[in-house]
Amino acid sequence: MVANITHEVFPQEESTAPIESSQKQPSAVLTVEKLALNLAGKEILQQVDFSLPAIGVTSVIGPSGAGKSSLLRCLNGLENGWSGVVKIDGNDIRQWPGGWDQLRRHVGMIAQKPVVFNTSIRANVCFGLHGWRQRRRAEALVKTSLQQAALWDEVADRLDALATTLSVGQQQRLCIARAIAIKPRILLLDEPTASLDPRSKQLVEQSMLQLAQEIPLICVTHDLEQAQRLKGQVIFMCDGRVIEQAASHQFFNQPQQIETREFLRWSVCDCD
Amino acid sequence: MLLLALPALLIPTMVLCYIFWQAVPVLNWGFLSGTADGVGFGVTEGIFSQLVGSLLLATMACLIAIPFALGTALYYRTFATPGQQRLMNAMFNMLQGIPPIVFGLCGLVVLVNLFAWGVSLLSGAVVLAVVVLPLLVLNTLVTLERIPNEYSEAGSALGLTKGAIILRLWLPRSWLQLLTGLLLAMARALSETAPIMFTATVFSGVVWPDSIFSPVTTLQTHIFYLAQEGNDPLLISIAWGSAAVLVLLVAFFGLLARLLQKLGGN
Repeated sequence: MVANITHEVFPQEESTAPIESSQKQPSAVLTVEKLALNLAGKEILQQVDFSLPAIGVTSVIGPSGAGKSSLLRCLNGLENGWSGVVKIDGNDIRQWPGGWDQLRRHVGMIAQKPVVFNTSIRANVCFGLHGWRQRRRAEALVKTSLQQAALWDEVADRLDALATTLSVGQQQRLCIARAIAIKPRILLLDEPTASLDPRSKQLVEQSMLQLAQEIPLICVTHDLEQAQRLKGQVIFMCDGRVIEQAASHQFFNQPQQIETREFLRWSVCDCD
Repeated sequence: MLLLALPALLIPTMVLCYIFWQAVPVLNWGFLSGTADGVGFGVTEGIFSQLVGSLLLATMACLIAIPFALGTALYYRTFATPGQQRLMNAMFNMLQGIPPIVFGLCGLVVLVNLFAWGVSLLSGAVVLAVVVLPLLVLNTLVTLERIPNEYSEAGSALGLTKGAIILRLWLPRSWLQLLTGLLLAMARALSETAPIMFTATVFSGVVWPDSIFSPVTTLQTHIFYLAQEGNDPLLISIAWGSAAVLVLLVAFFGLLARLLQKLGGN
């Protein structure tokens, strides 16, 4: 797989192709400045800086232990012992009205392993809905959320069936539907297709690309081919630091940093 | 190995067989459904009031202990620092090892005398609640620890508050295991004699408690009293009958707990 990618990565004829520039992207929804996380005396994240455009997918790649998942957990408030500044639409998330619980309603997160609750498919989608306004529109939300997650066609006639009866791939798409039902401003996905078969992976990616037309997505992935397919921008992390951030096309065809080139060629990173 | 294991298997089996063998002559419907007449120190054949008294005490004790056990376990899991967790673990394990008669003595001093609740159902139930509390807390902790972290984080990721996670995720997922713990606590409460001797029971003069401030008669203390009357064969056989009923009652709650454990997949 690596050989295949690296072969595609630096084709001579593409080296002069126009590079998608992040400068063309709309204004940033999320800005991260000097984000650092220290857990049990170990620096997990160091001076992480990046910004997220208003729509599109941002793939975060890097070797295991690079701090990719920790980064998502910081943005979502599941990890809150970090330092630095994280702003969503210009608002510091530490001063988010209503605290971390409210923030998490704006920053949805999908884990690597799908976790569905032991209740019906419909109830799972509605699980995060708050207040009578949202609940009144629950039926419509169930349908649109499942459609956006590319699951509606498969479950439309059995919405009251237990969610645990779905396949792993379907469960993952149900998790996406559940997350988008609460209309998050940003969606974080931590290796969402790692445990899925190729067909399910394709459907989840399809769902992500569809969602990315409306909201920004950050997707942690080990699959470089997937990062290419998702387009958008790529952030390469190693040892808790952002090594390179660029538009997908530019990143894979003209990586600027030597560490990035090494990683794309050999899937290793020696950034010490 | 088998030689070492045999006594451990045979002796309890033989004891049980002997209890039931001795109880057979008195075990009949009249024995179970008859009530003492309130005089003669309970020396009548019926044990219904003792049976109900035991169940009342055990049920009340568990009802009192449940909210504290649940609250303690939830605090431990949700808010306690690692230091507090270590302290609480050590404390509940130590409390479990304290002889129940010590709790009975404390109950006598504080509840019966200081609070002037007297020898009563309430005093006994509170003391029994303290006896079963560590068991309930530790069982609840084990149950909550079995809930995968990802499950709770999936709830957090939807913006659920801690309270909502507990009510909407943890309790629906673990109620079967919690019920199992409760049944084991019931069995434990039914097995205790010492703590209720000073605080809840009398041997004579009571058939049914009039209120929570009235004393009760129980199977445990009934057996205790009758066993002291070693010269009267009738009383001894009633004691064996009561013992058999008590064993069956404890076994019933224990087996029900195991059944629930199996249903819950543990």
